[in-house]
Amino acid sequence: MVQTFSVLPFETPPAAGNQFRRQVREVVAPFVERLPPEKRGNCWSVADPECSRTLGRAGLVGMLWPKRYGGHEHDPLTRYIALEEMLAAGAPVGAHWIADRQTGPLLLRYGTEEQREKYLPGMAAGELYACIGLSEPGAGSDLASVRTSARRSGDGWVINGQKVWTSGAHYAHVILALVRTEKGSERQQGLSQFLVDLDTPGVSVRPITDMFGTAEFNEVFFEDVRVPDAALVGTEGEGWKQATAELALERSGPERYLSSHALLAALVDSLDDNAPPEMTALVGRLVADLWTLRQMSMSVAAKLARGEDPTIEASIVKDLGNTYEQELPLAVQAVLDLDLADNAPLPRILSLLLQTSPSFSLRGGTREIIRGIIARGLGLR
Amino acid sequence: MSDNRQQLVEMADALFADLAGLSFVDAWPRLEEAGFGSLLIDESDGGFGGDWGDLAAIMRLAGYHALEAPLGEHVVALHLLADAELKTPEGPLSLAVHSGGGVPFGRHVTAAIVRGEDGVCLKAGKISEATNPAGEPRDFVEWDGLGAQSLEIDLDILEYLAFLRVCQTAGALDAALALTIEYCSERQQFGRPLSKFQAVQQSIASLACEAAAVNCAAQGMAIALDSPGHASFEIASAKLRANAAIKTGCALAHQVHGAIGFTRDYPLNRLTRRMMGWRTEGGNDAYWSERLGCMVRDKSGAQLWDFLVRRPG
Repeated sequence: MVQTFSVLPFETPPAAGNQFRRQVREVVAPFVERLPPEKRGNCWSVADPECSRTLGRAGLVGMLWPKRYGGHEHDPLTRYIALEEMLAAGAPVGAHWIADRQTGPLLLRYGTEEQREKYLPGMAAGELYACIGLSEPGAGSDLASVRTSARRSGDGWVINGQKVWTSGAHYAHVILALVRTEKGSERQQGLSQFLVDLDTPGVSVRPITDMFGTAEFNEVFFEDVRVPDAALVGTEGEGWKQATAELALERSGPERYLSSHALLAALVDSLDDNAPPEMTALVGRLVADLWTLRQMSMSVAAKLARGEDPTIEASIVKDLGNTYEQELPLAVQAVLDLDLADNAPLPRILSLLLQTSPSFSLRGGTREIIRGIIARGLGLR
Repeated sequence: MSDNRQQLVEMADALFADLAGLSFVDAWPRLEEAGFGSLLIDESDGGFGGDWGDLAAIMRLAGYHALEAPLGEHVVALHLLADAELKTPEGPLSLAVHSGGGVPFGRHVTAAIVRGEDGVCLKAGKISEATNPAGEPRDFVEWDGLGAQSLEIDLDILEYLAFLRVCQTAGALDAALALTIEYCSERQQFGRPLSKFQAVQQSIASLACEAAAVNCAAQGMAIALDSPGHASFEIASAKLRANAAIKTGCALAHQVHGAIGFTRDYPLNRLTRRMMGWRTEGGNDAYWSERLGCMVRDKSGAQLWDFLVRRPG
């Protein structure tokens, strides 16, 4: 008998209670205050290196990593609480987000001792940032079409090709690139991962102006880029397996339903007991969704922490979470009589999220890919 | 969690599967015999000593197998009577949100708990029979004031009904999903099973998402009920989420099934027609969104978040 979702209660670690939450809020508060209000929306794409360094000093980056690499050996659920507090506050955590969530854990899992010692302490300090080189002009959702290549040369490799839609490459220090190391190999075969310093000769980063006029993602070009053998991460030819395992780490976190939370917070800020019924009802509906999604996300976090593999449930959280954070600005716009040209926080946040939210179901696997993963889990493929 | 939940769930699953398709009259003696009534009664009082999580699991199965009986209403009524130290009538019991219409299985029960001056009411002679969309009794009952006992407890019948319907919806949507997967894996069109078409896969994945959300909401709500303090916030949230899932989930299940889903013989209608009724019962979207909105609208954004993270779960 199918049960689509079973709850594993989230047992808050003793050290991560209300006092810990208050500490996290206090650390990020000054950085939230100095932000333009609209930047509180989708805040995990907003880079503020000073905020990241401060979080690093406070022990809130690399929280799970071994102390010998600058980490703090915390419980995964403590980290979950820290992250949801940063996101709910609208903190600009984008600079270190990828290194903390994906690249660091990948190095711990597959990296050499040398790579860990070289990169992890800087990442945990909130000073060394990473980006992920997956998509290419001919490889988007069809990631196995990667053509960027690395060929052996002397005691190292030479990389040629191009990555695109690489978020944060313009401020990151390293890129983790998925490239083809076996000439003539097809699809998922013959791929490997390299961690390349972005100041290596031959690497160039060209920001792409997005539709809001800012540049958040980039093209990254590799022209005869020579890297040592030590830049190879994990096993040659195992890149596909490593990269997809890394993607699974990012599907169900609190960032999958909190990207528009700043708008709900601003909306509630604007209401009191005299709020008109349709506004009250809107807040009720949104809070019901928020509560449900948080329960789901936390339950998946509890399962991951226990070493289970909740692949389908994690994908369900992403699909529903993205739908909620996309619906939120549209629902607020439909009910609230606002002048979007107004300079107050609420219209500014709304105006930005109306434009950015369509991207929420693209990043980290499109809605169609995610639903394909769910369908596979249900035995349909 | 009660220690005996796994055993309880296995027993209920087998029994409800056996009772699927039976009418109340045929199903009730078997339910009575199984002793579910005492689920929420303390062990020291001769009951099962179960918790709300146990009842949620049982009601999910009742929804999964489209059980035609007011089992949840009966369990909650016995619990409320025991809590108030009132005499328990023999036979099946029900819950009524208000005097008058919409009493689940009113024609079959010996008593119902209704909110109002009358407290607990015994059924009087006059009943006008009516049914919900699934054909289940939702009768107009004239209450016999003479049989009433006063129930002096903080009582919100609507919350209890909402709890039951959310849990039943969790099961019914899972069952609709299972039927949908089974059907489209067998049914061939254009030379291959429907399940191999991406458009169909995407629809079924969405149905699974809705079912998962209600299953999580139901369990989260039960955890809150088993924790100290009121669970009105969780019940409101879960019922709103369930109502949204019924809207999307039933439509998807029927869409993938095509015409076969609309036949009397095919079991999908036993699930979807019930859910359509449950979307109203225990409070509709307007009711709960207003009530939930009123709980939080005077808070600041930061206070709302703080409130949320301090809830049990």
